[in-house]
Amino acid sequence: MTKQDLSSRSVTIRAENLSKIYGDFAALHSVSFSVRQGTVAAFLGPNGAGKSTTMKILTGYLAPTTGRAEVLGLDPSDPEQRITLARRLGYLPENGPLYGDMTPRETLEFVAQIRGLGKGTKAAVERVVAQCAIDQVMSKPVAKLSKGYRQRVGMAQALLHDPEVLILDEPTSGLDPLQIREVRQLIRELGRSKTILLSTHILSEVEAVASEVIVVGEGRLAFAGTLDELRAGSTVEERFYALMDRKTKKEAA
Amino acid sequence: MSATAPAVIGALFRKELRSFLGNPTGYVFLTLFIVASASAAFLTDSFFSRNLADLATLNRWMPAILMFFVPAVTMGLWADERRSGTDELLLTLPVRDGEVVMGKFLGALGVYTVGLLFSLVNVGVLAYLGDPDAGLMFATYLGYWLMGALFVAVGMVGSMFTGNTTVAFILGSLGCAALVFAGTAPWASAIVGVVLLGALGALLWNIAIGRGAALGALIGAAIGLVLWLGGARLGLGESFIDVFAALGAPAHFDSFGEGVLRLGDILFFVGGTAVALYLCTILISRRHW
Repeated sequence: MTKQDLSSRSVTIRAENLSKIYGDFAALHSVSFSVRQGTVAAFLGPNGAGKSTTMKILTGYLAPTTGRAEVLGLDPSDPEQRITLARRLGYLPENGPLYGDMTPRETLEFVAQIRGLGKGTKAAVERVVAQCAIDQVMSKPVAKLSKGYRQRVGMAQALLHDPEVLILDEPTSGLDPLQIREVRQLIRELGRSKTILLSTHILSEVEAVASEVIVVGEGRLAFAGTLDELRAGSTVEERFYALMDRKTKKEAA
Repeated sequence: MSATAPAVIGALFRKELRSFLGNPTGYVFLTLFIVASASAAFLTDSFFSRNLADLATLNRWMPAILMFFVPAVTMGLWADERRSGTDELLLTLPVRDGEVVMGKFLGALGVYTVGLLFSLVNVGVLAYLGDPDAGLMFATYLGYWLMGALFVAVGMVGSMFTGNTTVAFILGSLGCAALVFAGTAPWASAIVGVVLLGALGALLWNIAIGRGAALGALIGAAIGLVLWLGGARLGLGESFIDVFAALGAPAHFDSFGEGVLRLGDILFFVGGTAVALYLCTILISRRHW
């Protein structure tokens, strides 16, 4: 996707000077970026870079200390706007937390009830079960599932209401290589009709699924642009390490 | 397409009820409750020496039994969510904080109600031994239920503070103990007073300023602590402790045990439950602090 293609699209996710401070520790420091409609954006950074904190703010789980987030034109930190947003947003939190005593079927039915899917529940469950390939484990308690299956059940609940925007916190974490390939394929397919922001620290994942890239390190923005701009005649890997090194040198100076 | 508030609360209620009753530990707690209440009702000399078909002996022990049983039910309500990270999943679904609190409260109250229904076997024993008054039994059980509802809400407050269920149990029991001993122990009256002033602070802050009610709660609780430890005289020269000594749960339950439904006592339990649930809503929103 070229920069011109992107610039003609409206912004779906916007972060303006987002900061999150816990005591004297800044988990996020004045981070700004935007993700345009119908694109798959990768949020790239090492562990502890502030990716999950940003996603928690974008989904309204946390409020920023300063700055403003906007998803689909709605402010996630406003209680009523967050409800409207949550109806149009699918979210897979980090490590795919689920209720261990429930089966995937019960989990999906519970989420469907909360989302008010009503008579559409059966069809929605069938759709996400097929998309995420979890039909074999639908009656097993989640606590007894492998991490890969739990992650896929987490994906299924995020897709249940066919949301316009997906925010996925490390969606391939814990999956084996074959499962990773399937999930990436699913993300690419979903990316044709939805806006997706996914976090990862796997460099190859960025090239596999994303057209836009946001790089963060130690709570600060290091890069925001298209995949082609990130590569800039080099490889994603080289550019990523260069960005991280530059940041470290800047801080040292 | 979106769920209405009752549908969301209903979904959470059913999840909590199924989670507790689908777990062997839940049945252990229920069995212990039934055994404890039956023991308190009949395994005392006074029951047979009084020769009356009522539950007066159980009434004396019920607050103490609930002080341990109810926090055992409520300890995991929010602590488990925080420990497993499912609070993030739940609070990013289209649910309001108040709906989460209400759904979980009703789920735990449902579990307590199941326990109470099983304990109706006590009334069966009374009917076998004598001729218990139906009105008295109704009032007594309504009192048990209302007191339990208050304790469930207080236990939930304890569960909101931590991701550790054992700590949640201790905090919940401490909160319930404050209500049980408020009329007899100064420390208990003081805790009730400090918590109430905290809730009042949160409410006033919410009305006057809006967001950030937690700060109002802290200010209210701090004022309570100063009044308590400073030995201040309030109102008609009464000490801080004296003022809140009237808020002991057993004293407000007595009328139910005598077969009388007093509006003031009903309001005490309903109002106390509402205050505790309001505190839960404030505490659940502290992720934004």
